[in-house]
Amino acid sequence: MPDTDKYYIERCLDGHPDDFRYLVRRYQAVLLAHLAGKLGNKDKAEEAAQESFVRAYFKMDSLKKADLFYSWLLGIADNVAKEHQRNEQIRRQREAVRSFSEEVPQPELSQDFALESAIAELPQAYREVILLRYYGQHSCNQIAQRLDMPLGTVTKTLSRAYAMLRNSLQQRERSEVYEV
Amino acid sequence: MNCAEYKELLVAFIEGLLDETEKHSVAEHLKSCASCRAELKEVSNLRDHLIKNGKILAQSNLEDKVLDRIIREQSVRLKTTSKIDASLNIRRIIMKSKITRIAAAAAIIITALITFYFVGNPLGATVTFADVIKPILNARTVVFDMIVGSEETGPVMHDIVVGSKIRRTFSNMDTILIIDLDNAKMLTLDPTSKTAAYIDIQGPLQEGTKNFLEFVRNIVNNLKDMPAQELGQKDIDGRKAIGFYVADKPNIELTIWADPDTAQPIRIELLMGQSLYILKNIEFDVLVDETLVSTDVPAGYTLSQKQFDMSQFTEQDFITVLRLWVEHLLGGSFPQSLSLQELMSLTPAIGEKIGQLNISDEEKTQLGITMGRGFVFFQQLGPNGVDWHYAGSGVKLGETNKAVFWYRPKDSAPYRVIYGDLSVKDVAPNDLPK
Repeated sequence: MPDTDKYYIERCLDGHPDDFRYLVRRYQAVLLAHLAGKLGNKDKAEEAAQESFVRAYFKMDSLKKADLFYSWLLGIADNVAKEHQRNEQIRRQREAVRSFSEEVPQPELSQDFALESAIAELPQAYREVILLRYYGQHSCNQIAQRLDMPLGTVTKTLSRAYAMLRNSLQQRERSEVYEV
Repeated sequence: MNCAEYKELLVAFIEGLLDETEKHSVAEHLKSCASCRAELKEVSNLRDHLIKNGKILAQSNLEDKVLDRIIREQSVRLKTTSKIDASLNIRRIIMKSKITRIAAAAAIIITALITFYFVGNPLGATVTFADVIKPILNARTVVFDMIVGSEETGPVMHDIVVGSKIRRTFSNMDTILIIDLDNAKMLTLDPTSKTAAYIDIQGPLQEGTKNFLEFVRNIVNNLKDMPAQELGQKDIDGRKAIGFYVADKPNIELTIWADPDTAQPIRIELLMGQSLYILKNIEFDVLVDETLVSTDVPAGYTLSQKQFDMSQFTEQDFITVLRLWVEHLLGGSFPQSLSLQELMSLTPAIGEKIGQLNISDEEKTQLGITMGRGFVFFQQLGPNGVDWHYAGSGVKLGETNKAVFWYRPKDSAPYRVIYGDLSVKDVAPNDLPK
C-alpha cells in the first residue's frame, strides 16, 4: 500500500534510496523535537537527526517489522543522542583539564526546548503519541492507524501525556525559581 | 459526572474527539465551573505551545542533507571492504531489481568487444597457404567458439557472425549480446529478467573492433605472404587436421588447423603478447537464422530506458576496475598476473559484486559502464611486454611506492605508472622499475 512506512521501506530495500526522502519528510520534525529535547540545542539536534536517519537507512534490513519503523527510528535517535552527550562530556572534561579548571561547565539548556525536553522524558508510549500529533502533524485518527491502536487509546494516551507534561513543566519552573 | 471526570475529558474536548453528547455535556459544565475553565485554559495553553513549537520545527528540511550523507556514506563503504560485507545484507536489491542485472551486464558487455580490439597492423609481410585461408576471406557467416586464455580454464564465447553482426553468448554468464558493428550499436538481453538494453559503442571502440570477419581477414591477409611453417597432421576435436604456423615474433603467433580435404579451418590459435585466443568448432557459410542477429528487442523483453555509452574510456576507468577487483575479490592484494583471460573470467564476479553494493541502481549502472570502459582501456593497450607491463604480484593495496602497472600512452614519451595506492605518475622510460 503506497504511503505507508512499510511501502517506502520496501522501496528502499529494493534499491530506490531516493524514496527514503519520504520517510525523512514524515519524521524529521518528530526526530528534531525529540533530539532537541535531549540535546537542548537546535543545531546539535539537526546534526543528530541527520545521523539518525542515515544510520536507519543503512540498518534498514535489520528492521524486522516495517510497521515498527517509527519506534525503531526513535530508538536509533536515542542512541545517537547518548553518543553525542558522551562525546560532549568528554570534550568538556578535556577542555576543563586543559584550562586547569576544576569546574566543568554544564551544557546550556535552551529555554526554548524545555517543552521538548519534558516530552523526551515521557514514557515511550506517551512520547510517541505527543510527537506524532504535534510535530509529525498527524491527526488522532492517523496516529491510531500508524500505531495500530484504537482511537480511544490514542485519546487516553494523549490526555495522560498532557497531565504528565504539565506536571513536569511545573516542576521545572519551580526548580528554576529556586536556582535564581 | 464530577469535576475530576470532566477534567479528564478536556484534552479530548479541545482535540475535537468527543461525541456530540459528551461535547455538549462538557460545554454545559464549563459554563458553571470556574475551576474546570481554569483547567481548560491551561490545557489550551499547553496545546498552543505544542502546536507552535511543532510548526517551527516542521520548517526544517533535512531531506537533501540526509540523502547527501547517504550517498557520501555509500561511496565510503564502497572503498572499505569490511564495511561492504556488512552492507551486503541488503541482498534483496540484487534479487529483485531488473535494472541491477542489466547494470551488472554492462560490466561484462565490453568483453564482447575487446577481444579483437587492437590498433594498427601487428603483422608484416608475405607467404601463401591460400587454400586454407580462402574460406576465411570469403565466408559471409561463421559460427565458432572462442576461448580467451587456456582451454581448460578460459571462459568460452559462442559466436554467430553474419556479416557485420554478431550474436554472442557466454559459458560463464547468461547474457546475450547482439552486436551491430556497422551501426555501432549493441543490444544486450538478460533472459532471467527479460530485460533488454541498447548500448552505444561509437567512437574508438567501434573503430578498433571493426567488423569481426574483417578482423580475421586482416590477420589472414597479413599472414598470407609470410613464411608459414607446416605442422603436419593431427587430430583436432576428433577430426583430422593439417596445421600451419606463422609468427611475427615477439608479439604475434598464429596457428591454423584445417580440414585436409576441404581446406576449411577448424581451429585458429592466436597469441598476441601473452594473450591467447582460441577459435574452435569453426564452421563457415552455414545456414543461419538471421533473426538471431536482429537488433530489434525480442517479444517478451522489456527495453531499459537507460542509455549506455561505451564510446569513451580512460585510465581512471581502468583504475576503478583494479580497485574493485583488488578490494572486493582479492581482499586487498593485487593479482599474481594480469591478462585478458583473467579479466574475462572475473567479469561475472565483478558484475555480481557491483550488484551487491549498497548503492542505487543508477550508481550500479554507472559503475558497470565504468568497468566496461576500464576493460576496453586495458585491451587497447596492445600486447603485453611491449606497451605495458604488470608488476603487482605481492603488492598490497595502499602501498604508495610500489609500481604495479605501467604503460605508454599513444604518442607519449613518458610512461604512466600506477602504484599500489592507485596513484599515477609520469615516469621517463629510463626511470621505470626494472
